[in-house]
Amino acid sequence: MAHLLRRAGFGATRDQLDEYIGKGYEATVEELLHPEYGDPEEQDFMDRYFIASVEARSAGHADPQWSWRMATTEKPLEEKIALFWHSLLAVGGIKLDHGLEMLTEIDLFRRLGLGRFETLLLAISRNPGMMYWLDNQNSHKDAPNENYGRELLELFSMGIDENGEGAYSEDDVKAAARAFTGWASKTTPPPFFLGPFRMQFAFDPDDHDDGEKTFLGETGNFNGEDIVEIVSRHRSTARFIALRLYLNFVSDTPDDEEIERLADVFQENDGEIRSVLRAIFNSDHFKSPAIRFRKMKSPAELVFGTVTLTDRFTIPEMDMSTLANQTLFMGQHLLNPPSVEGWHEGEEWVDSGALIERINFASGEVTRGDARGVRRMIERVAGTGAELQPEEFVDACLDAMGSIDLSDRTKSIVISHAAAKDTPFRPGSAGSEDRTLEMFQLIVSTPDFQYC
Amino acid sequence: MKNKNFSYSHTIGIASFLGRGFMNPVDVRFDSTGLMFVLSRSNAGNKNVRISAVTLDSEFQYEFANWGTAPGQTTQPTAMAFDSEDRLYVADESMHNVSVFDREGKFLNRWGEFGVGPGQFNRPSGIAIDSNDDVWVVDHLNDRVQKLSTDGEYISSFGSAGSGPGQFRFAWGMAIDSNDEIWVADWRNDRVQHFTHGGEFISSLGSSGDSDGEFDRPSGVHVSSHGEVYVADWRNERVQVFDSDGGHIETLIGDATLSKWCQEFVDVNPEQAGWREKAGLFEEEKRFWRPSAIETSPDGLVLIADSCRHRIQIYQRTPQPALV
Repeated sequence: MAHLLRRAGFGATRDQLDEYIGKGYEATVEELLHPEYGDPEEQDFMDRYFIASVEARSAGHADPQWSWRMATTEKPLEEKIALFWHSLLAVGGIKLDHGLEMLTEIDLFRRLGLGRFETLLLAISRNPGMMYWLDNQNSHKDAPNENYGRELLELFSMGIDENGEGAYSEDDVKAAARAFTGWASKTTPPPFFLGPFRMQFAFDPDDHDDGEKTFLGETGNFNGEDIVEIVSRHRSTARFIALRLYLNFVSDTPDDEEIERLADVFQENDGEIRSVLRAIFNSDHFKSPAIRFRKMKSPAELVFGTVTLTDRFTIPEMDMSTLANQTLFMGQHLLNPPSVEGWHEGEEWVDSGALIERINFASGEVTRGDARGVRRMIERVAGTGAELQPEEFVDACLDAMGSIDLSDRTKSIVISHAAAKDTPFRPGSAGSEDRTLEMFQLIVSTPDFQYC
Repeated sequence: MKNKNFSYSHTIGIASFLGRGFMNPVDVRFDSTGLMFVLSRSNAGNKNVRISAVTLDSEFQYEFANWGTAPGQTTQPTAMAFDSEDRLYVADESMHNVSVFDREGKFLNRWGEFGVGPGQFNRPSGIAIDSNDDVWVVDHLNDRVQKLSTDGEYISSFGSAGSGPGQFRFAWGMAIDSNDEIWVADWRNDRVQHFTHGGEFISSLGSSGDSDGEFDRPSGVHVSSHGEVYVADWRNERVQVFDSDGGHIETLIGDATLSKWCQEFVDVNPEQAGWREKAGLFEEEKRFWRPSAIETSPDGLVLIADSCRHRIQIYQRTPQPALV
């Protein structure tokens, strides 16, 4: 169960795990897969305490909003799938520079991210931020701009192989570009004197190439909707989306057989992402020990996973805005992916500088003795027994932190550290709380904690 | 929508990180001379909090209470009020204190600290001064209103957590009327509560919703010298006006024209003026976006802090009701 929550969300506290275990694994999967869309009641807190994020003019103004949602969500897969699509259908704040629109996109991913891929792809194709980001407002009937058509095929749906080859041709790219002419974002007033205004999609029929096109072997007077429909039922798209879901939710190392199975599920279920994820989470492959703690946490997973554990935000305190900075320091600038390719994930997340940031952040968080989640962890350890030998103490801490596993080698080192104290751990004795916090700190500083 | 009892006058403001202009203004007050003071909340990242003194014909005078934790600085200011000697009291939510300035922005004093005891605060959010120059503070995460001296000495308090009479859920703004009675914007209960000067519950105004007399997270309340009650109906993007018995008089949704400062910006930036013309969102430009607080003058001017459009919209009450 803990493994499921680490992948389908940002991890879970021991208390949350107990609640999920009471529901059962498959029931929990279904609950995760069916979040009720809508703002949580606590959205008003964010708007009140971070009023500048309501009219977010930049990614920097917007990110406290998303940080708050990821740190406090009771619908973890809704945020996790938004994070997934944010990297796959990437729009970057560095060019768009419109925080309000960035948040609109994240909400689009929440709303449509578990449904049919075709619906999502069409929605993002009508997203004014995406149209601006990929220059489609410069794509005209008599002078198509190929940027959106190319990225739609290469990065958003069909993909390319290791040789840079896709199951589409340059002529297909050109046809797609023609089909999307006239799709653009409306002009909005500049934000410099009244703040930003919401962006809006605009279709100009007079600037749209309605002529005949041949695309992926089919011929017709195709428009953008047709291109999205044709792409979405193509086997390459099923395989590409299956691959990306696998890399994000299962393992950094692709398993060809499993990806083909998931591509089948994609096609058998009309491209519904929820069905593919169900097939992932309920599979023996996903549950196998070989998959657990083998996937490098992204910075967002590390930061919001740790904050989920410590549960320190009852309202959006001022330092809520620093959480996004933490992911930035670790290499993931939320709402501002480095390019339309999104982020390169897996082991690439970690270099020596990022590792130090990761360890410093996590160890700082879990030693916040006043945080609600940390208090509960301390109490849980204290309630384990009257006297704990080193291994029992380590096991109690690992369990209290949400059922974390350590490799045998790491665990033996941590136990030897615990054993360096002359006395067994006795809850309530002098220094026992500091000793517990120190053990939490040691656990999150291990290499194992970098994986989920 | 044509206003029946209010005529739109003009707007003051432009989005600005410092100097002339505002950044997410959440409160507005007159001093005794009629000079307007605007509290910009900004955000934690940009740190453009400040109080700006501006004349009603848009002449920027000076600013103070800028970002920081040192005496004379603020981090998350949320409300302010003048006493009879034109000393300005500013509540800061993250520092859990109240800073006091003179009308020229000179720092005088600050008091309060985090806690649940008398004279301590957990995110003070609203502030008002009574005719005796006692300072009333909405101590919102302690679910109470505290009465203190001008030096921060605790006098009394009332309120508790909940939804019953005299209870609060994340209360925000407050006002004291000419009878020294207390009004509190009980934000998360979607109502405004009315109390005697002694803190005894009198009545409750409003409930959840978006019809007349209903609220969606009311942030501010103000009572004019004529006894009319103005409520910043924050998430409904409007200001509702009631008579002293709670009868609904009118709803304002915003009528802004370009302020003098915005017009000057547009005039010297023709490219951006062109974007604005091409966008054509002139109706949307007029409307409130998270109106947070209201101030009135004895001669019927109504100032509304339009937080997310970085401006103060100004109306004239027409005709003036009789003084109460």
